[in-house]
Amino acid sequence: MLESFSRSTARRARRQYVGMMFRFMGHALEAISRFDKTVIDEASALPEGLVFQMTVLPAGPSLAVEHTGGGSLRYLGSHYQGPVDLSIRFKHLAHAFLVLSFQEKTVEAFANDRMVVDGDIALAVRMTRILNRLEAIILPRLVARRAVKEYPSELGLLEKVPGAIGVYRRVAFSMIRDLRKEGLSQ
Amino acid sequence: MSRYYEFFCPVKVIAGEAALEHLPYELTGIASVRPMIITDAGVRAAGLLDPVIAACEESAVTIAAIYDEVPPDSSTTIVRDIANLYRQQQCDAIIAIGGGSSIDTAKAVNILVSEGGDDIAAYSGAGVLTRPLRPFFVIPTTAGTGSEVTSVAVIADTERSVKLPFTSSFLLPNAAIIDPRMTLTLPPHITAATAMDALTHATEAYTCLAKNPLSDAYATAAIRKIGRSLLAVMDNPDDAKGRLDLAEASTMAGIAFSNSMVGLVHSLGHATGAICHLPHGLCMSLYLPYVLEYNLEDIREPLAELLLYLEGPEVWSATPASRRAEATISAIRHLRDELHHRCELPRTLRETGKLKEDQLDAIARQALDDGSIIYNPREASLKEVRSILDKAWG
Repeated sequence: MLESFSRSTARRARRQYVGMMFRFMGHALEAISRFDKTVIDEASALPEGLVFQMTVLPAGPSLAVEHTGGGSLRYLGSHYQGPVDLSIRFKHLAHAFLVLSFQEKTVEAFANDRMVVDGDIALAVRMTRILNRLEAIILPRLVARRAVKEYPSELGLLEKVPGAIGVYRRVAFSMIRDLRKEGLSQ
Repeated sequence: MSRYYEFFCPVKVIAGEAALEHLPYELTGIASVRPMIITDAGVRAAGLLDPVIAACEESAVTIAAIYDEVPPDSSTTIVRDIANLYRQQQCDAIIAIGGGSSIDTAKAVNILVSEGGDDIAAYSGAGVLTRPLRPFFVIPTTAGTGSEVTSVAVIADTERSVKLPFTSSFLLPNAAIIDPRMTLTLPPHITAATAMDALTHATEAYTCLAKNPLSDAYATAAIRKIGRSLLAVMDNPDDAKGRLDLAEASTMAGIAFSNSMVGLVHSLGHATGAICHLPHGLCMSLYLPYVLEYNLEDIREPLAELLLYLEGPEVWSATPASRRAEATISAIRHLRDELHHRCELPRTLRETGKLKEDQLDAIARQALDDGSIIYNPREASLKEVRSILDKAWG
């Protein structure tokens, strides 16, 4: 009985963690696309209006972002229901948890068939590079090494620290705004 | 090595002497009485349809229709035309005879005749198909692509100038028939280029991120056969045993890479093929050693192991363990030199005479967005890819 309770609590916690990380990543993608030249250059090549969704099958947590043009990304929220041009879908919540808790690199998840890509593969490769750049900027080097295939050798502290501060500051504001909105709607 | 992997290959492989004569038995086993052949003009001109038709006639199986005009780059229009022919003739199975283009075309035709409609683009992408298709058999006439055991097909949409990818395990044929008669007449430069394609499939399957124990077994077996038989076949094109070795190696390499994917050699090859229209096998041969050198420190251990399969136990044991990875690359370079000597297969981009140096930037940019690059052990930047291209230029 106790074992069953703790298992279900752990599963609930895992789902909440994945949902929270998706929400954080959504805001962080929007934030970093405002100032990081590497991300802006990569995102500029995406078609304007492209909607990218990362989600967990069958109906798990998700994030959606839209390329609004000029390399700028806009977070569309965690309950986006509109048309999607490119999606990366984890086959199971456990697989998303492995990646989002940095136990498995994103490319390893691809290699291990943890995810299904639907849409233009070239754009999925580009979005993966954007996610890698985000992780390299915002995570401590030791953690980032566990998240990306190769930590960028040219990324020095002078670029990383202001970048990370910029992302965390913007994400904090956005998440507080989200919480206020959610509070008002209840 | 990954802690987790998936491996899937439900294709029955019928290989060896008189393998073609098993086709009627396979057809009757699924109650097919009106099969259709999809092939190209070159295969027909080389007389490669004759033994297939003869084998069927002897067993009272009538070929209901033959489409023999598949071009090297097939299109949605051709797929639609063939599907219409299939329906008009009330066929009940498809036999693809040829190389990658005929096989991919047949896979796409099978989608239309099974699912209905005329718009093959509607089925593009991964996971769109949800049920088994019509009976499908493949008889490869080249030994390189491995398409007979892969679950993908690529068809050009000429109206929209895009290539449509199709990915589904339902695209896999019921059986692949590997008969040495079908590759005996391959010209030397195609034999060489397609074998290098298979060697690259196996080498990348064994050294890239999604390698796994089962794909490793197929990859090493393929490399052993290529190492043993490629030059022997180049010296004696009528060597049926050697031809079968290469055809089997191609199928095994296909099974390996469709379960562990490929890496940067393919990214560069796809980009070069798209921009400069160089044959895929040649591109693989051009880039393989340079990409292995680039990846060397990340793949030293598996690459060192490949020396045993490529060069045999004597060379492997005589080479110091610390030098085996480099020796594998040297062996591949030596193989390319021998192929150049025998059939002038180009070893550098410059030797192809089909590229201009100012196209390298475009190739590098396109390669960076290729899906295969995800599985490459190193995260290649634009600058690094350009540097590999400079080396391959020669």
